[in-house]
Amino acid sequence: MNAEEIQAIFFAECEESLAAAEAGLAACKAGTQDDDTVNAVFRAVHSIKGGAGAFGYIALQAYTHVFETLLSDVRDGTVAITETLIDVLLRALDTLSDHVGAARGLGETPDDAALLAELTAAMAANAGAASAPAPVAVAVAVAADDDTETTSDDDFGALLDDIAGAMAPPASPPASPPAPVRSWTAKVRPHAGAMRNGSEPVLMLREILDLGGTCTTCDAAQVPALDSIDPGTGYLGWSFALPADVGEAAVRDVFDFVGDDCSLGIGDDAPMPPVRLPAPRASVAPASPQPAAAAPVVTPTANASASAAAPAAPPAPPAMGQSIRIELGKLDKLIDAVGELVIAQAMMAQRLASDGLAVTEELAMLEGLTRDIQESAMAIRAQPIGSVFSRVPRILRELTASTGKHVRLEVSGESTELDKTVIERLGEPLTHLIRTAVDHGIEPASERLAAGKLAEGTLTLSAEHKSSRILIRIADDGRGIDRERVLAKAIEKGLVAPDAQLSKEDIDLLIFAPGFSTASQISNISGRGVGMDVVRQNVKDLGGRITIESEPGKGTVFTLTLPLTLAISDGMVVNVGDQTLVVPLANVVESLRPDPREVQGLGVHRAMINVRGRFIPVLPLYLAVGAIGAVERPHEGVLIVVETEGAGRAALLVDAIVDQRQVVIKSLDTHYRSVEGVAGATILGDGRVALIVDVDGLVARSLADTGLAEAA
Amino acid sequence: MTTATRILTVDDSPSMRALLNHALTTQGFDVAQAEDGMAALDWLALNEVDVVITDINMPRLDGFGLIERLREGSRHRDRPILVLTTESSEDKKARARAAGATGWIVKPFDPAKLVAAVRRVAH
Repeated sequence: MNAEEIQAIFFAECEESLAAAEAGLAACKAGTQDDDTVNAVFRAVHSIKGGAGAFGYIALQAYTHVFETLLSDVRDGTVAITETLIDVLLRALDTLSDHVGAARGLGETPDDAALLAELTAAMAANAGAASAPAPVAVAVAVAADDDTETTSDDDFGALLDDIAGAMAPPASPPASPPAPVRSWTAKVRPHAGAMRNGSEPVLMLREILDLGGTCTTCDAAQVPALDSIDPGTGYLGWSFALPADVGEAAVRDVFDFVGDDCSLGIGDDAPMPPVRLPAPRASVAPASPQPAAAAPVVTPTANASASAAAPAAPPAPPAMGQSIRIELGKLDKLIDAVGELVIAQAMMAQRLASDGLAVTEELAMLEGLTRDIQESAMAIRAQPIGSVFSRVPRILRELTASTGKHVRLEVSGESTELDKTVIERLGEPLTHLIRTAVDHGIEPASERLAAGKLAEGTLTLSAEHKSSRILIRIADDGRGIDRERVLAKAIEKGLVAPDAQLSKEDIDLLIFAPGFSTASQISNISGRGVGMDVVRQNVKDLGGRITIESEPGKGTVFTLTLPLTLAISDGMVVNVGDQTLVVPLANVVESLRPDPREVQGLGVHRAMINVRGRFIPVLPLYLAVGAIGAVERPHEGVLIVVETEGAGRAALLVDAIVDQRQVVIKSLDTHYRSVEGVAGATILGDGRVALIVDVDGLVARSLADTGLAEAA
Repeated sequence: MTTATRILTVDDSPSMRALLNHALTTQGFDVAQAEDGMAALDWLALNEVDVVITDINMPRLDGFGLIERLREGSRHRDRPILVLTTESSEDKKARARAAGATGWIVKPFDPAKLVAAVRRVAH
C-alpha cells in the first residue's frame, strides 16, 4: 500500500466523518442532544483532524483544531448547546467540507477567518475567557504542529517540567542541561510502580546504553534482607555516564512513559534519587526498611490522585454493527461470480428437465440457496440512501443564503438501501432537483404568506422500496409548475408546434426537454450549465425514470424510479425469428395480441396500432436486429408496448414472449464494443447469449428512419 | 529463536490504521488491526500479541475502557499498551496512566518515534 492509497482511504473516511457530523448536528437541531450524539460529532471532526495532521494538510488541520476545541467544550458541557451554536457548527461543518475538498485538490482553500472568529467567540461567550483559548494562541499552537518534531518536543517539554517538578528532591532543583563537557551523569531509580502497566525498566536502561551511556555505579544500598524483599519495589538505582553529544532530552525521552514511577537525577552533582517506599512520598528511606512497610506495590498517593483527577469513563455507546472494508473490485468479482452461479444453476435445471430426470426437491433447494447467495451478495453492495440525503441540509442552507427562502426539510426512508454505484451517481441529479424545487417551486416568503401558506417552505424527501425498484420523491409545497409559461417558452424555443394540443402531464415533461433550460436558469440554479434534460439523462443512465406531478399553488413532486442495482435487471425474454432478445421490463407498459382491424398499414413495413384510441407506431424487431424467419404480420405475433424517454410510446413486434425473469447484465463494451440499439447482453438459462434491447435508442432510431411517431 | 514482535493496533479511523500498518510492517513488525475497543477485546480473547497500540476516542469502547478491561483480567495485565493521542494534555496523560497505559504516542506520529516507542515497551 502506498501513500496515495492511504490518502484515498483518508478522504473516503473524511466523507464518512462529514456525513456523520452532519447527521449528528441535524439530530442536535431536532432536539437529540445526548452525550452519544455530541460525542459522535466530536469524534468525526477529531478523526479528520488526526488524519489531516498525519498527511500534512496544514490548513485543514489548523481549522479542525479550532472546530474540535469548541466541540470538546460542548461535549464537556462547558459550552451550552443553543440554536445559535448549532447554526454556527453547521456552517463550520460546511467550511470543513470545503477544506477537505481543498486538501483533495478539488477547490480553493476556503477563507475561514470569519468562521474561526465565530467559533472562538462561541467558546469565549459560553465558557468565559479563562478556559477559551485565545485565537492567537490557537494559531501559534497549530503553526507549531506543522512540524512533528516541534510538536513532540513542545509537548515533551511540558511533560518534563512536570516530571522534574514532581521528581527532583526539593533540596536540589532540576539541574540545567550540562555544559559541553566530555560526559555527564544521569541517575535513574525506578520505583515500585515502574513495573506496572506492562512497563519494563530493564528496557529503558538498555536504551540508555544504546544512546552511548555507560553504567558507572549501581546503588544497592537500599536492598533489604532477602526475606523482606518485595519484588515489586524498586530498591536499585543506577548512575550512567553519558557522552556530551547526547542531550538531556534524549534521556528524559526514554523515561517519558513511566512518568513519576521512575526518578531521574540529571547532572554530575545531582544526588541519586531516593528509594520511594510505600509511605507517602518517603523522603530518604531508612537504612533497613521495615518489612511490613515495603509490602504494597502500588504507591497510594499517586493512584488516589490519578483516579480522582480522572473523570469516569464515558458510558460505552450502544453497540452498532461491526463492519469491514472491502475493495470494491473484489466485491464486484463476487457478484459477477454469483451471477454466473445463477446461470449455471438454471442451465443445470434445464438440462436435467430435458433428460427427464426428476430431482425437483433437490433443485428447488439449490435454487433457494442460490437466490439467497445472490441476494446476500447484492446486499453487500447496498448502502442506505441516507448518505445522499445527509448532504441535503447543506444544499438548503446554501440556497437559503442565495435566495433568501427558508426551507424546512422533512426526510423519510433514509435507511432504504440501494446499490452503491446508484447512490454515488444519484447525488448530482438529486441536488439539481432540490435546487430547482427551491429556486422555482418554493415562493418567496411574502408570496407564500399572501397565499395563506407558512412563510417557511417545506421540502419532503422520501425513499421507499417498491417491488424491485426504489422510489425517491422530492416534493415541495411551492407554487407548482406554471404550465402557461412553460408552454409559451417551449413554443418560443421551437420545441413544440404553436398549435400543439398537449396534456398537462406533457407540458410538465417539457421542462426535461433538451434546450429548455434558459441562460438565467443556468446561472441561478447550478452555475454548471446543467439543465433538467441532463438530470433526466443521469437518471436514465441509472436505468431509472423520472416523473412529475404538479398542482398549481400546491406544489410539485418529482419521482425518481430507480433499479436497486445496475448489475441485475428484470427483463422480458422474447423470441424474434431465430433470435432471443431481452426487453428491459422498465420500459414495458403492456403486451398485447392485436386484432388485425386495429393495425393500420402505412406502406410495406410501416404500421400504427390503435391502443385504446392512441395510435402507436409498430416496430418490427426482426428488422432492427436482422432476424430470419420472424413473424412479419402484427396480428400473428405479440406487440410489446414500450415507453421511451425521447420518442414516446412504440409497439415492438415479436414472435412470442418466452419468459419474464431477472437477468444478469453483461456489458458489451467491455467484452466486445458498444452497439447501437443494444444495452448489453446476458446469458440465458440454457447457456445461450441474448442481447438486451436498448429500447430508447432502438425506438428513436427506427422512428427517425420510418418517419413515424406516436399520435394522440 | 526470534520472531517478529506482534502488535495489535486499535483505531476507528481506516486511514490511521493504514498509516500504522504501513509504518510498523515496514519495520518488520507483525501487525493485526481492530477498529474499536470491543473488536480489540474480541481479537485479544483469541490471539496472542506483544504490544497493543490503541486510539482513545472510538465508538463502542474507547481506549481507556479497553485498557481498563485488559488490566482487570489476568491474561493481559502485564501487556504493554501504548496510547495514541492527538491531545497531548497532561490531563490525558494522567488519565492514560491511571487507566493503565504503558506509554503514549502523540499524533501525528513520526514513524521513527512510533517504532522507538514500541521497542521501548516490547518485552
